Amino acid sequence: MTTLLEVSGVSVTFDGFRAINNLSIAIGEPELRAVIGPNGAGKTTFMDIVTGKTRPDEGRVIWGAQSVDLLKLSESDIAKIGIGRKFQKPTVFEEQSVRDNLAMALKNRRGPLSVLMWHATERDTARILELATEIGLSDRLTHRAGDLSHGQKQWLEIGMLLAQDPRLLLVDEPAAGMTPSEREHTTDLLKRAARTRAVMVIEHDMEFIRRLDCRVTVLHEGSVLAEGSLDHVTKNQQVIDVYLGR
Amino acid sequence: MEMSRTTAAPVKRRRLLQDNPSVLWFMGLLGLFTLGITVLSEGFGIGVISTNLVKILGMTLCLCLIAIAMDVVWGYCGILSLGHFAFFGLGGYAIGMWLMYARTEIVIRDSLAGGTIPPTEREVSEAVASQIFSVVGSNELPLIWTFAGSLPLQLAMVVLVPGLLALIFGWLAFRSRVTGVYLSILTQAMTLALSLYLFQNDTGLRGNNGLSGLQNIPGFLHVPQSVISVWFFWASAFALGAGYLLFAWVVSGKFGSVIRAIRDNEARVRFLGYNVEGYKLFVFTLTAVVSAIAGALYYPQAGIINPAEIAPIASIYLAVWVAIGGRGRLYGAVIGAALVSLLSSWLTGGGAPNIDLGFYRIVWTDWWLVMLGLGFVLVTLFFPKGIGGLFDYLVRKQ
Repeated sequence: MTTLLEVSGVSVTFDGFRAINNLSIAIGEPELRAVIGPNGAGKTTFMDIVTGKTRPDEGRVIWGAQSVDLLKLSESDIAKIGIGRKFQKPTVFEEQSVRDNLAMALKNRRGPLSVLMWHATERDTARILELATEIGLSDRLTHRAGDLSHGQKQWLEIGMLLAQDPRLLLVDEPAAGMTPSEREHTTDLLKRAARTRAVMVIEHDMEFIRRLDCRVTVLHEGSVLAEGSLDHVTKNQQVIDVYLGR
Repeated sequence: MEMSRTTAAPVKRRRLLQDNPSVLWFMGLLGLFTLGITVLSEGFGIGVISTNLVKILGMTLCLCLIAIAMDVVWGYCGILSLGHFAFFGLGGYAIGMWLMYARTEIVIRDSLAGGTIPPTEREVSEAVASQIFSVVGSNELPLIWTFAGSLPLQLAMVVLVPGLLALIFGWLAFRSRVTGVYLSILTQAMTLALSLYLFQNDTGLRGNNGLSGLQNIPGFLHVPQSVISVWFFWASAFALGAGYLLFAWVVSGKFGSVIRAIRDNEARVRFLGYNVEGYKLFVFTLTAVVSAIAGALYYPQAGIINPAEIAPIASIYLAVWVAIGGRGRLYGAVIGAALVSLLSSWLTGGGAPNIDLGFYRIVWTDWWLVMLGLGFVLVTLFFPKGIGGLFDYLVRKQ
């Protein structure tokens, strides 16, 4: 396992509020990692920084063996380099069909002219069908994404994430609004993805994290409070005080 | 249209016409309309409709062309540009320069031909310049008229000048991530600035006089307007058909999918790895060029172009046409532009009879704008999909 993403000494302040405070965190490839922490711990801001949405005031974000400085790249370049993101609130393109949503995410050339000339090859079509089967939407390909249930939208977004074929998946609360059996399916999906990639999951649900069975990072007030196995961190007195004890 | 694709069958090629029956319908109707007008015209047919009406209809087709361009940039890509008439006007000016120069040159050569010594090129050029620019107190040919004597170069200007303006303006605006109403205001500022600039006498485009006599086509000065009007009607119909096909193709495939996604949530599209600014710039510039071509066909039929044509209000009307016709569907833009602009010229051109209510006399020239404003508000409130939305309703009913 080699280090894929290394965030070191990152701080960001919003209107005087220090959302991220000298945060250092690293993830390898392949690896499955869960990130937990109370509200306002900086979990989502951390993802915003890695994906280029928010620029930190200080610190470094380094990617891959070539040590690419992610802070110099635009959001779309970061996505192209191999970082995919699933948002907390499912954000799919509701006016468009499930197929079009997946086709847009499919790993292909992204320039306007290539996209203008694009037509689905047999491989693309097969891949879309394969993904749709994996996320349980193979009979919904022609449906409007907006007509899907909340859980199905979550899955469609996970499917879009997989379609991008990223090296690092940042997944924000994937199980929110899902039934227990849907959650189980989601856990399987993430664990399978983590066999070949780096997967970072933000989640509140302890049961869900226990099923992921992976290394856990606890964030608090914008920096890492504890890191290790779930049993290890849940025994940590500080963690109990700020998070679990409530 | 998606329903016809089965899940398992691989989609080999993008089947534009099969997937978009409305394109076929539109092409058929446009062809029939063109044939009908030709048969009824004075120049080629039985002469039921006047040359003036043929011109108005030809101009309307050009307005439909800029309307579908507006629909692509606004309805599909979500950029509410309120400046596309600037590109339309620039296209008109570019072709107008050649029309005016070449025609004046012919007239000058004819009048100088009687002399014993044939005139030098310099003498001709100076005579043309003083003929064109005496109205603004000048007799020198401005630098921007350098290519005015050449039709191919001036045709290139029709595309290049507005295209370059759109490219530079769009690059600056989109790079700074100006969106929404702020972008609309910027585009208004652009067209206002251009209009005010052209109103000045020393800008080389004859100030508020504009360019005139554009209906006389050099080389065809002996051809009656009844015939030329039909030629331009054909050219406008062809351009509208070609533009419609082009845009239908652009918005139908994955490109259309991406720009609609940008309209609905551009931040999300960035996280999928698409360079949103590049797409916006592409769409903005492409639609600007099509608008310019529409303008280059419009003004030879109108006969005159002046800076008032690119006043901010013109671009706002354009948005109103598209909103009334129905955003996000090309035929909606055509319906909106045709209906509103024809109604406008009928009601404000004195064609509609005023209504005497006894206590009040409805004069349409006064009331037209009120009606248009009211119609716009009603459509926005009660039919957000515009007139085109009615087709959805009818299709679903079947």
